[in-house]
Formats: sequence, C-alpha cells, structure tokens
Amino acid sequence: MKWAALGSGRIYFWLMIVPAVLYVAAWRLGPALYTLWLGLHQYNIVYDAAPRWNHLANYPQLLRDGALRQSLGLSGEFALIATAAEVVIGLAAAVFLDTDPPGRNLLLGVFLLPMIMAPVVVGTAWGTLFDRTVGYIPYVLQRLNVPQPQWLATPGTAMFALLIADAWEWAPLVALLLFAALQAVPREHFEAARVDGASGWQLFRRIILPQITGMIFVAAGLRLMDAFLELDKVFVMTGGGPGSSTQFVSMFVYKQAFQFYELGYASAVITVLLAALGAAYWIYLRNYGRALRGATP
Amino acid sequence: MSAESSGPAAAPARTQPSPPGKPPVLPRGGGEAERPAAARPEPSGRRRSAVAVRRWRWHAAGIVALLAWTLPPFLYLVVLSIKPERILIDRSQIFFWPTLERYRDFVASGLAAPIWTSLVTSTLGSLGTLVLAGLAAMTFSFLEFRAKAVLFLLILLPRMFPPVTTVIPIQLMLKSMGLIDTKTALIILFIGFQIPLALWVLHTFLADVPRELAESAAIDGASLPAIVMRILLPLAGPGLLAAFILCFIFNWNEFLFPLIVTSFNARTGSVAIMSFTAGYKKLQWGALATLGVIMTIPVVLFVLAFRQSLVRGFTAGALKG
Repeated sequence: MKWAALGSGRIYFWLMIVPAVLYVAAWRLGPALYTLWLGLHQYNIVYDAAPRWNHLANYPQLLRDGALRQSLGLSGEFALIATAAEVVIGLAAAVFLDTDPPGRNLLLGVFLLPMIMAPVVVGTAWGTLFDRTVGYIPYVLQRLNVPQPQWLATPGTAMFALLIADAWEWAPLVALLLFAALQAVPREHFEAARVDGASGWQLFRRIILPQITGMIFVAAGLRLMDAFLELDKVFVMTGGGPGSSTQFVSMFVYKQAFQFYELGYASAVITVLLAALGAAYWIYLRNYGRALRGATP
Repeated sequence: MSAESSGPAAAPARTQPSPPGKPPVLPRGGGEAERPAAARPEPSGRRRSAVAVRRWRWHAAGIVALLAWTLPPFLYLVVLSIKPERILIDRSQIFFWPTLERYRDFVASGLAAPIWTSLVTSTLGSLGTLVLAGLAAMTFSFLEFRAKAVLFLLILLPRMFPPVTTVIPIQLMLKSMGLIDTKTALIILFIGFQIPLALWVLHTFLADVPRELAESAAIDGASLPAIVMRILLPLAGPGLLAAFILCFIFNWNEFLFPLIVTSFNARTGSVAIMSFTAGYKKLQWGALATLGVIMTIPVVLFVLAFRQSLVRGFTAGALKG
C-alpha cells in the first residue's frame, strides 16, 4: 500500500508502530547500550556508590584473566561437540522422517518436545538420570559391572552429561530445519538416479546431501552461537562445577555480576562477547542468504 | 487428539508420484494416498513383498530408535514423580504401585504459587507482546515507507543478541523502580523479550494475506481502524495464535531473568526448580520430578493441539537470522 494513498490515515500507522519501537528501545536496546557504557567503568555495587571511570582498566584485566580464558575454551569445546552431535542426530532423524514412516507427523511432534520444554526441566531430567542415588544411568552401568565415576561430580563426565542433555534438547531443531529442506528437494533427479541403479547411500551422498548442505550450515550456525552461551542446564545440572570444569562463559559472567558484584567487569566481558557474536552473525548472515537460496528451489 | 488426522498439512505434501519399485503397501502419510493407482507400474508379486518387508523393517527400526532417544527422560521424570518415597532410590523396583501423593500435596508444599506466577506472567506478557507486535506487524506488512527497513531491523536486532547482554542494566532498572520480586516486573520484561519473535512470526503469516484486499478497501474509503478490525485481524488469526503460543512457551521456559529479578514472592516455576539443586531441598527427588512434570504439561498440550502452526512458527523463529 502506498504511503500517500492513505492521506490522514498515516498518523494511525505511525501510532501502530511507535509503541513496539519504544518498548524495544527501552527494554532491549537501551540496556544493551548501557552494558557497553558500564564496561568502561569500575562498578562493584558493594563498594562503589556509582559507576566510576577507571581508565579502561577492565579490558587489560580481561586479557590477563585465566578463568575467563578457561571459560571461553570450555564454551567453545561444548558448542563444537554439541553442534556436531546435533547435526548428526538431526540429519539422521530428518532423513528417516523424509521416508514417510507411518505416523510421521505424530513422530515429528514427539521428537520436537525436548526443544519446546523448559531448559531447566531438561536439565532436571538428565541431572536425575545421571545422579548416583536415583539415576538409571549409573545404576545400569553398575549392574553391568562397568567402573564409573560420579557423573556430575567429575570434570570430564560432567561435561559429557551436559553434552548429552544439549544434544537431546536441540537435535530436534536441526531435524526440523533439515526436514523442511529435504521436503523441498525436487524428486525428479532422485528418481532418474534411482532408475539408473544408484544405491540408497549413493542417492543420499550424491543427490540429497548437496542440496541440503546450505541448510545444514544454517542449522549448525544457529546451534553454535546458542550453545556457546549455554546457561540454564549448567545451572541445574552442575552449577558450573565440579570446581570450574563446566563454568561456561555465561556462567562466568553470571558469577562476576551476581556473586562477586563486579558489574563493570562483567559488562566488559559481555561487550567482548557481543563483538565476537556480532562478527559471527555478520559472517553467518552473509552466507545465510546464499545458503537459503541454495536450500529452497 | 486429532493429531494424526491433521497429518498432510503439517509438511508440504509431495505431489510427484513416488518412484517405481516402491509399492504403496504401507499406510503412509498424507499426499501419497491421493496418487492415482494407474500411474504406478506394478512389480511382480515376490519382489514387491520383499521390498515391502525391507521397507517395513527399516521404518520399524527407525521409529523404535526415535522413540528410544526421545522418550526415556520424560518417562523417567513421570516415574520418579509417582514412585513411593520409601522405594524412591531402589532402582531395581521398576514395577510398583504408583502414588499420587505428590500431586495431591502439590498445593500444600507451596509449589503451586510459582506455577501460578508462571501462568499469569507468561499469559499477560504474551498478550502484551501480541498487541504491540501485532500493531507494528500490520504496518510493516502493508505499508511502504522510507524508514521501514531501518525500523524493522531496529526491532529485530535484539533477537540476535543473547539475554545475558542486558541482564545487568535490567536488574538495576527494576531495582530503582522498586519492582524487584513482583509479577509486574516479569510481565514488563516478557512483553519486551518476545516482540522481535512475535513480529517476525506475524510478518511471515501476514505475507500470505493478499495486499489487494486492504488496498481496495482503503480506496473504497474504509477507515484504517475498520481495515484493521474487519480485514486484517480476521485473516491474521492463525498467525496471532501461533505467535501467542510461541511467546507463551518462551516466557514459560525463561529462566535467567526470573532468577535475577525475583526471589520468593514472584518466583516462577523455573526458579522454583532451581531451589531444589541446593540446600535442604537437594534430596527431594520426588517433589522435583513432580514440579518438572507439571512444568511440562502445558507445553505438551500446546504442541499436540497446535503442532502445525507451531512447526511453522518455529521454523520462522529459528530462521529469524
């Protein structure tokens, strides 16, 4: 509809758009900008009455902070492994659902449940499953005489438990996106190849996979960025422990801000994360348009 | 649930005939049933049954694998919530007489309050979001104007940066407004959080509404409120429903902000679950599982009832970029 055609109706349209813009500016954009500003200051709410200019001391501190470096490493490791697992499981599920098994849509609905339920409940379910006193995973392994550590209280296995929980929660998202992409693959090629005697694996590898590669990257990108900032399940399952072995970067920021009250320093860390994420999004969006065009005919 | 009958529409049904040598012995999803029988070359009887058996096995194995991957954590939570306290940690007892005690005592144990808070704040927050995002979405979808792209981006931008980036200022803001630990604070936050998502979902749904409808009404001299109420709103119904459900689910699941801005009076279900991971409640597995199950019920109901619009909304939401 043309702007001019509306005449005096314009004012209504402005009135319709303004509340949302103001609201988002006040409660989302404003706070984000304030975080950037706070990152340039010293502000410990216990000791400082107000944010105090500290000559950008937060940033050199950030570079020297070994705990932060460890958190970033853990987050990176978690995000990479979780995403890889989710792509593999999601792809398998999507390909299977694409073969039209009986009750396909109900199956899809059930499969999607984990990603729609509350992350803290996902954490609760897996936390109890891995627990030594009530969980079935330690119990079954014990009955099979497999020696095992206390899953959530040992560094390596706590990470493993979180990875399993994350894969369970988010493989469905990957499956959903890839399923949509698979449904859009034109069938003609496929049938021609099948008539020429291609095996199922060849069909998948040569014909189907190239056509959904774009969507695989889209899904993996989404998951990488989200998993890097994972917080909820860590809170419920390990609390960042044992020690700091599952203290991902979100948990690090949370502890700096709400346990040590170093709001200024925490904001500086957030600023850096935001910059890194911005860069990631920029790269992602540049490829994303291309990928999406590749995925949909 | 009418889940199964609604099958074909949830995913784009395939219109091409299925490849030869793939006999339609099994009852399968949607589109394929409509295929004309004559279009299929009939393979010889023996080969046909061999292929069918192989296909059946493959499907059965896949279904078992899918359910074995998805269901155990759910079932486990349910089992834990109905297992009598004295055999709770005795895992060799898989069969037992279930107890509904914990569900009966749910209100008395003080866990109903957080669930009620979650329900109220998620609902009101989502409705607020719908009003703001709905109004904006109509303008964005039906009008060309110069600052459109910039404004649209401005609203969608927050979707891209994670919640942790705004957590500190928001806590300070709410503290200075004296709203810490109130339902009002949660509603204010929830309205703002989901505007970008709701706007995007509504935008994708409104894209299907033919522009000519609104345009011709405008030319005929209909006032703007009339266009909105009589034409756009009824057509935007499914989009509004999808957006509402998505917003509700995201609000219901939200954890970090309720954790930070509430302590006891206005804590939500998610925050209540947290209280079981530390302190004296640490070992109340049964109550924890019960809370988990109750937190999941509304989500499951929504998914089963509105799967089609949800899948579409989620796909749009995930691709918000």
